[in-house]
Amino acid sequence: MSENVIFVKKYDEADKALAVNEREVLRYAGYLGLPETMDETLREVFSQVVEELKGAFSYQVCYRRMDVTWEDGMPQFSLQTQSKDLAKCLNGSREVILFAATVGLEIDRRIAKHQRFSPTKALLMQAYGAERVETLCNAFCDEMKRQAEAEGLQCTARFSPGYGDLPLEAQRDVFRLLDCNRKIGISLNESLLMTPSKSVTALFGMGAGVCPGQEHKCESCEKKDCEFRSDDVRA
Amino acid sequence: MKVLDYLKDHVTYLDGGMGTLLQKRGLQPGELPERWNVSHADVIVEIQKAYFDAGTNIICTNTFGANSLKFDDEELQTLISAAVENAKKARELSSGMQEKFVALDIGSMGKLLKPYGDFEFEDAVEVYAKTVRIGAACGVDLIYIETMNDSYDTKAALLAAKENCDLPVFVSNAYGEDGKLMTGATPAAMVAMLEGMHADAIGANCSLGPEQLRGVVEEYLAYASVPVLLKPNAGLPRSENGQTVYDVFPEEFSDVMKGYVEAGIRIAGGCCGTTPDYIAATVAKTKDLAPKEIVPKNRTLISSYTHVVEFKDSPILIGERINPTGKKRFKEALRNNDIDYILGEGLTQQEKGAHVLDVNVGLPEIDEVEMLKRVAFELQAIIDLPLQIDTTNVTAMETALRRYNGKAMINSVNGKEEVMREIFPLVKKYGGLVVCLTLDEDGIPAEAEKRVEIAKNIIRVAKEYGIEKKDLIFDTLAMTVSADSHAALATLQALNVIKHELGCHTSLGVSNVSFGLPNREIITAAFFSLALENGLSAAIMNPNAAEMMKSYYSFRALHGLDENCTDYIENIGKYASVAAAPAQTAGATAEGAKDSEFQSDLQRAIVKGLKEQAAALTIERLKTEEPLDIVTSQIIPALDIVGKGFEKKTMYLPQLLMSAEASQCAFEQIKNKMASSSSESVSRGKFVIATVHGDIHDIGKNIVKLILENYGFEVYDLGKDVPPETVVDVVVEQHAPLVGLSALMTTTVPAMEETIKQLREKAPWAKVIVGGAVLTQEYADSIGADYYAKDAMATVRYSMQQMGQQA
Repeated sequence: MSENVIFVKKYDEADKALAVNEREVLRYAGYLGLPETMDETLREVFSQVVEELKGAFSYQVCYRRMDVTWEDGMPQFSLQTQSKDLAKCLNGSREVILFAATVGLEIDRRIAKHQRFSPTKALLMQAYGAERVETLCNAFCDEMKRQAEAEGLQCTARFSPGYGDLPLEAQRDVFRLLDCNRKIGISLNESLLMTPSKSVTALFGMGAGVCPGQEHKCESCEKKDCEFRSDDVRA
Repeated sequence: MKVLDYLKDHVTYLDGGMGTLLQKRGLQPGELPERWNVSHADVIVEIQKAYFDAGTNIICTNTFGANSLKFDDEELQTLISAAVENAKKARELSSGMQEKFVALDIGSMGKLLKPYGDFEFEDAVEVYAKTVRIGAACGVDLIYIETMNDSYDTKAALLAAKENCDLPVFVSNAYGEDGKLMTGATPAAMVAMLEGMHADAIGANCSLGPEQLRGVVEEYLAYASVPVLLKPNAGLPRSENGQTVYDVFPEEFSDVMKGYVEAGIRIAGGCCGTTPDYIAATVAKTKDLAPKEIVPKNRTLISSYTHVVEFKDSPILIGERINPTGKKRFKEALRNNDIDYILGEGLTQQEKGAHVLDVNVGLPEIDEVEMLKRVAFELQAIIDLPLQIDTTNVTAMETALRRYNGKAMINSVNGKEEVMREIFPLVKKYGGLVVCLTLDEDGIPAEAEKRVEIAKNIIRVAKEYGIEKKDLIFDTLAMTVSADSHAALATLQALNVIKHELGCHTSLGVSNVSFGLPNREIITAAFFSLALENGLSAAIMNPNAAEMMKSYYSFRALHGLDENCTDYIENIGKYASVAAAPAQTAGATAEGAKDSEFQSDLQRAIVKGLKEQAAALTIERLKTEEPLDIVTSQIIPALDIVGKGFEKKTMYLPQLLMSAEASQCAFEQIKNKMASSSSESVSRGKFVIATVHGDIHDIGKNIVKLILENYGFEVYDLGKDVPPETVVDVVVEQHAPLVGLSALMTTTVPAMEETIKQLREKAPWAKVIVGGAVLTQEYADSIGADYYAKDAMATVRYSMQQMGQQA
């Protein structure tokens, strides 16, 4: 059922669904070895970063549920787009959940502070923040998926503006639809970048028997020579 | 009746939610509600009339998002005047007998200001100013700025309102569950800033239900001396059988509001999810209550963008190190635009325990207005301490105060008529706590009594401007005791009288007392203790000075300001023994010697990323070796080991950076040595680097900059979001052979292309290197770059090659 209301969810860092994946943090930081093989100096800096970032995040998601109808194989809903990749992702969903997630501005401040005097820490913090917001998105989507299943529905994979042929310009509509600034404090600048920088907007479809599709981002990405491409896909 | 007159003797009621009611009436997702002022005027009037009927005194026009970012000038004019007309019509139609006012509603424009966002402060002021001018011309009774989740944005809106109309201005912020604004400010910090700028009423709205805002409400009531307003949500929305329901109903809402009115809330209303029923219930339960008297709190506060610093019993330490006077290295940093060095001084003082940072960047040969503006801005990007703006240049003072995010300290005025007439208007407009020096046209009086007289005169003149005593802090001027043996006594006596008889706070630049004496720190610290005993509220001092910090912690412990001596116990160890450092260096050397895989300990320290060791070992070597020999025989080979490891993927990015940081520590020592022996440094060439216009991601750019500097390039870092013209200007001015441009997003690549185009025209000699997440070789070719660098090392290799040097 479609609704006019935007919901806000807040998460507690202690939530099991938000457990930190260290290996993922290190991968975002360009360290492609295993956490166990880190040399002592790096391990030391890494644990300082982990310590400093305790309590620095504020996990929030705002979302709304919208009806989708289909015309000529294209989804029709409040976010108007001709994206074929999105259509493919939604594969016949009757509803979508559009959401924005952020871990707050404090991480940006810490990064800005360390960037000038300890670029290593800044890098690790960037990576940590990236991992946090990804994990937040996963936690939110998993929760929605469970709710959908309770209603006898399945969910598709997640899709964001900038993926495939859905242009980044779609961000303007997403921000209009979710009132992100007022709800959870994300703003969009002229270049379509979000602040806080550790924020994500995305949507996924729901419907009876829809195909979950590819969930792994690296697999579906076109940039095959990416330094950060995750190990299991490279191999 | 005027709204402020009404407010004096009455609890005043605002309206409730508008957006949620419009959605029920069919406002579509993403549709701009302001357009309904014209398209559905009847619906707006009906809702607003219902609020007036429910007892609302102040209706907010349906103009939350009516600004020039969303509408062109013509539509903006149409929508705002229609909105005001609708509210006035509702007022006429309502049968309510209460006093009725119309407020021009201004919500956040939804853009984050620099440094975190990309919006210029002055542009934000102009966006709000446009709305204010139109609304004021339509004849509203007041301006209501609401749902602001950022202190800087709030300041821009309030400034716009104050500069463009004479109407009363109410300001309301949106707090999160942590009791802070999205960008970190506490209610007390907002009170300090907003009262300083003379908002007429302040408070909180939206985001949470009434009960969850309790902490916020209590903090406002404890700090504010103006009426406090509250407009909470009807709790949180949830879905029930396809209907949206808010979880706090009128009964519960109005019960909580009643308690708040009894506690001192003077202006009450509702936000998202509330309806005329909520307002009617609140009015019914509170209309017979006598409004609680608003007592001036008389608290001396300054603020940063996150918190307040209160001048009370515990002494405030104002770090004095951001000041070129007598500091060769600092002067050099100012001349070279070396902002990092200046920020480093700020961070060190913060770590050492300073509560406030004095900022003085006056040097005859630099543009002080620009430099002060820039330094204050950059400091506020990374350090959350309040600043003390220290300049004699009035233009520089105003520029800095205007852009300051919070309520600053102002250094300084004195008893000279002319100076007071220049500075007090700025204090009145922007707020601030002013340091008042007890000197006047006749100089510094030798006698304490005369200094007190000057203080009295300053208090009198400040009052003419509406500046209260609590916002003045007196500096009775520490003079050199070696020149006049009674100098310190006069200072202390004047201090004592001003603190205890005039009831004002005091501050001193304590170190002046010891000029010309040996072991200055000792006598300065003794003087500091005496001054504290005589009522000193704050000292402008060097937090790196161990003796001063010892006095500070001891005073607090002895004066009952440090419960269980906790702070003393925790901190005093740092100052008790200073002789530990050399031993550590020796240890480091011994440990390093064990490792044979490196040519020397210094190389090992750099490769392993050990910063302190690298610095200490460089200092050791500088005793016997030439600075440049150390660079070529030790640092560069070490960097090469790391660079090659990175390219072979035996070392990863974090390790490359750690080595770069360590080598930077070594370089800093070498620079210090070279500055003192004033020998010329050798540069591999000039390299201008920038993140292009529209892009605010700079971590990649900063990594490249660091590595380039390591390899001896003279890097001109223009920062992020840099317009093409700025890049061209600097490249031309420096005749730089190399330019590096970074972009993260596809949306900003056109800006990169434009920059290259302009460079080709005006600086055809320059080689342009591009990099960033979105770029590829093909992309780089298509926008006409000379080189696509996949990482920092690739940039170094190419640059060396271009400069005809071996990497």
